[in-house]
Amino acid sequence: MQRQTDTSRMQGRGAGNFTGPGRGFGGPRSVMPVVKAKDFKKTIKRLWFYFGKERKLLAVIFTLVICSASIGLFVPYLIGRAIDTMSGGVNHVNFGLLRIIAITLVAAYIADGVISLMQGWLMAGVSQRIVQNLRCTVFDKLQKLTVAFFDLKTHGEIMSRLSNDMENISSTISQATIQLLSSVITVIGALAMMLVLSPLLTLASVITIPMVFLVTKSVAKRTRVLFKEQQVILGKLNGHIEETISGLHIIKAFNHEENVIESFEELNSKLNKIGVKAQIWSGFIMPLMNVINNIGFAAVAAVGGALAVENLITVGIIASFLSYSRQFARPLNEIANIFNALQSAVAGAERVFEILDEQEESSDIVRAVELRAPKGNVVFEDVNFGYREDVPVLRNVSFEAKAGSTIALVGPTGAGKTTVVNLLARFYDVTSGKILIDGRDIREYTRDSLRSCFGIVLQDTYLFSGTIRENIRYGNLNASDMEVEQAAILANADVFIRRLPKSYDTLLIESGSNLSQGQRQLLAIARAILADPSILILDEATSSVDTRTELHIQEAMLKLMKNRTSFIIAHRLSTIRDANIIMVIDKGHIVEKGSHEELLHIGGVYSNMYYSQLRRTET
Amino acid sequence: MFCLQRGGELNYLGKYWSRYWKPFSTAVAFLMVEAICDLLQPTIMSNIVDIGVAEGNLNYVLTQGAVMLGVAAFGATSAITRNIISSKVSQNFGLDLRSDLYRKIQYFSFDSIDKFETASLVTRLTNDVTQVQNFVHGLMRIFVKAPLLCIGGLVMATLLNPKMAWVLIAIVPIVGFIIFASMKTGYPYFAKVQKALDKVNGVMREYLSGVRVVKAFNRFDFEIIRFGKSNEELADTSIKAMRVMAVFSPFINLTVNIGIVAVLWFGGYRANNGTMHVGQIMAFINYMTQILFSLMMISFVFTNFVRAKASSERIGEVLSEENTMPEAASPMSLDKEIGSVEFDNVSFGYGNSTSEPVLRNINFSVTRGETLGIIGSTGSGKSTLVNLIPRFYDATKGTIKVNGEDVRDVEAKFLREKIAMVPQKTILFTGSIADNLRWGKGDAAVADVEQAAEAAQAHSFITSFPEGYDTGLGQGGVNLSGGQKQRISIARALIRKPEILILDDCTSAVDVTTEANIKHILRNNYRELTCIIIAQRITSVMDADKILVMDNGEIAGMGKHEELMDTCRIYQDIFHSQIGKEGI
Repeated sequence: MQRQTDTSRMQGRGAGNFTGPGRGFGGPRSVMPVVKAKDFKKTIKRLWFYFGKERKLLAVIFTLVICSASIGLFVPYLIGRAIDTMSGGVNHVNFGLLRIIAITLVAAYIADGVISLMQGWLMAGVSQRIVQNLRCTVFDKLQKLTVAFFDLKTHGEIMSRLSNDMENISSTISQATIQLLSSVITVIGALAMMLVLSPLLTLASVITIPMVFLVTKSVAKRTRVLFKEQQVILGKLNGHIEETISGLHIIKAFNHEENVIESFEELNSKLNKIGVKAQIWSGFIMPLMNVINNIGFAAVAAVGGALAVENLITVGIIASFLSYSRQFARPLNEIANIFNALQSAVAGAERVFEILDEQEESSDIVRAVELRAPKGNVVFEDVNFGYREDVPVLRNVSFEAKAGSTIALVGPTGAGKTTVVNLLARFYDVTSGKILIDGRDIREYTRDSLRSCFGIVLQDTYLFSGTIRENIRYGNLNASDMEVEQAAILANADVFIRRLPKSYDTLLIESGSNLSQGQRQLLAIARAILADPSILILDEATSSVDTRTELHIQEAMLKLMKNRTSFIIAHRLSTIRDANIIMVIDKGHIVEKGSHEELLHIGGVYSNMYYSQLRRTET
Repeated sequence: MFCLQRGGELNYLGKYWSRYWKPFSTAVAFLMVEAICDLLQPTIMSNIVDIGVAEGNLNYVLTQGAVMLGVAAFGATSAITRNIISSKVSQNFGLDLRSDLYRKIQYFSFDSIDKFETASLVTRLTNDVTQVQNFVHGLMRIFVKAPLLCIGGLVMATLLNPKMAWVLIAIVPIVGFIIFASMKTGYPYFAKVQKALDKVNGVMREYLSGVRVVKAFNRFDFEIIRFGKSNEELADTSIKAMRVMAVFSPFINLTVNIGIVAVLWFGGYRANNGTMHVGQIMAFINYMTQILFSLMMISFVFTNFVRAKASSERIGEVLSEENTMPEAASPMSLDKEIGSVEFDNVSFGYGNSTSEPVLRNINFSVTRGETLGIIGSTGSGKSTLVNLIPRFYDATKGTIKVNGEDVRDVEAKFLREKIAMVPQKTILFTGSIADNLRWGKGDAAVADVEQAAEAAQAHSFITSFPEGYDTGLGQGGVNLSGGQKQRISIARALIRKPEILILDDCTSAVDVTTEANIKHILRNNYRELTCIIIAQRITSVMDADKILVMDNGEIAGMGKHEELMDTCRIYQDIFHSQIGKEGI
């Protein structure tokens, strides 16, 4: 005997499903645009696979749901019987039966309470563990993916799959599936109970069902279109806001405030127009449902009353019916919602699976050998490479770097300098040609052993939130505290570290933003020193560092480069000048190769570049 | 917005209240009608049972049934009217609020922009406004209805049978208490969940940005363990939070259900002695469930209220931000075309005057056609110095004169017309390349646009695109390389035909040859233009008419290259570190 008001969507059966804060009030979610899953069945099957060990518990939960739904069907009948015990009128109340019913009811309610408690308790564990496992699986997978994957996808996109989509999956598992199951049982059960109690009155109470479908369908048709449009404009407006707020400095510098306000107002009023329409239409659903339910309520009361007058049914049956018709109608209202939730969760799961299906780094060949303490002799043999097949980035690149020598790569941006590094560390594989280290193709080494021979210092330093000590030790997890500090001393980092309040135990906040660019760079160098690699790669390691810190870094770099084969990409001339070989790369070709003096002597691209940097325009 | 009107930061809502209170109140009035219609139903039903059925009066049953339908229809009509009004009010309120906020931010001084940070301003404009707007709509939809239904249900039940009302009076506080207790215990858990989630995302973000290093060092296991730890923490706290809720909700159900049994039991006695009718008992049970739902609704209202309040406070912070750089009482226009900049003993510090000054006693001047180079380590105050010229900030001490006038006396619009700035971080906007270039000057002729692009060494690569100047740029100009973006940014500044051009380390991604070409053209074709160039590369400023060497907020040296090589220690250091010991 529940009155259905606006609040009905908050509740599951009875007053259950109190999901606590964070779920928001029941907005017109049924009409929000839903991204449809591409292959619903296949994805569900696959998801089921990831449920793994939890499947047994899930079966237990489903059994509990069935029990509690059955109790829910039983209760209105009991209440009806209880009403009947007193319908005899004054002094004719059958207390014996009422007592039995009351006790049964209390028992049923307690059982229901215990069952829903168990169900909620178990479900919390199951849904979270499933998602935890899935998240771990995805993260494991991320370790095996090619660098190309990370270069192509934006961080935001990957992040959203690991957070939003996962959240979506977990809340759907814990709520929508349960709701779906209990709805199905309730609809069928309520219908059966009603038919048993009174087929005639059943007819009166199902009269509202076509209305429910008619209303939802006709309203949903409009709102779907409107919400889609609203989403599009909202996207545009948010884009505009994002852009103009982050460009605020430049807008002010160019006196452009009024222009952007104008275009903002335009979008804003567009959003308003469509928003009003969308909200009005979606707002119709609830009052209409309410009136339909009230009509059903009235129909049951009137027809039931009439039947009772004719003594065809008892008053208790009316009471039971008022409940059953409610129980019957509510899931029908909600099934569309639940299905949408399922759809979007499955679509989310599909996006997650997409990551799991991404191509991994090719596995090592069967007879791969370990690369141990190489001399560091590197040879490129006629290497061709393109990130996309139709756009070659490196063309017929051949050179030899003798063990212990320093090679500087010079050339305009986009010439392919960084690509050389990418190939060397096997972030990408060559399209044709060969790269040899100590005379053997790098694809014949195990990838792990190959990479552990490299030390890489990039322009963007990777520091994680943890202590400075942990960050340096990243280079060699077995290093003692002494060795860590030794490396820091060699990297000229020890001085500034010791000046920090907690010295080596200073906690770096996310991505180390509490250090200056130069300091972060020094930590990266210390890390590379600790790793003690045979081959060193420095990719624009000092380009965004100020001149004073740069002196420190350069000193540190020189120490680091000693006795190692080093590849340097840099703007600054002094570093380049001292290299054994300078290679000028342009449009994927090596156009010049030689020592500083040799190249100046040739008088080609390098010397041009060198002098244009130095030449002071005559005026 | 009854309860929102507290606290200084929320005062701004008063304005909207006075604009919308009439339709708002109308909507609430209709909402009351809606609630009353809902509340009438069980009572009518009890009459059908107690009068119609008990007396065998079929006619009464059918008329009362019709009355129920009529009441339902009336309630629906008012609900639909209310829906139209409330949708309009909340959407229009959102429109106004968003618009006011945006306008306010556009006219923020740079101080204020720095204070709030971009990301937080964007959230305030998007998320927070929506949050408040939704809350206002909710007020007119259910938030006001819930308490009405609760109180109305209590009243109706008491009217029906005052002596049975004690069951309700016992149940309602218990349910209220359980809801309160669940929120009290639940909230800290949900806060913890949020924290754990942030941590997982943090590890993830770090991994994504460092993926090359992770691969290079073979630290997969390390990363997996790190992620596994935070992932487990998230799962554990989430499970705890969900379990807290799983414990409380059966208790709420149980309490109400026991109440229903109590009504049945004691109702039986009353039916037996004739003080209550069966229909009334049925109605009573109906009111009980209605009250329960409204109580739960109120708890959701509260959750939403807390969120909306936080949002509206954040909006209030922006709206109440005061302009720290007032225009002069009667600002001048700036007619003279001199292109001169003069700093007279200027000191400056961000924020309040007590903080460490970023610039100290800066004195220099440049005149028309001169090129001034500025060099120095990061944090030495180079960018800050040039930001004072278009009056993005006001000097704490001293005066800055542009074309001989104190910048504080000139209307900002006129001042900024004279100056074109190319910032360190290139920002391009969605639209075509031509749109972006025309930013500098909306009515620039095609020839002017191309000339500027040519000067910035951008013309050739622009025309190499299939669509040339009409090539569209994604947000932030994603489909261009860094160097190309910088060159477009320079062209955009040149189109304005400024008297003073400020290049703030904006050629870092442009290769040296191209940079030299740009400088060459600037020197020969823009002879009248005063140039101020900030650079990291010493070669970018070596040929300037005057070079400022900045160190720690002070001028450490000023003069031509040769002079500085003789006199300035820092300049020599920079030179040697970049060019080499012997020099050229």
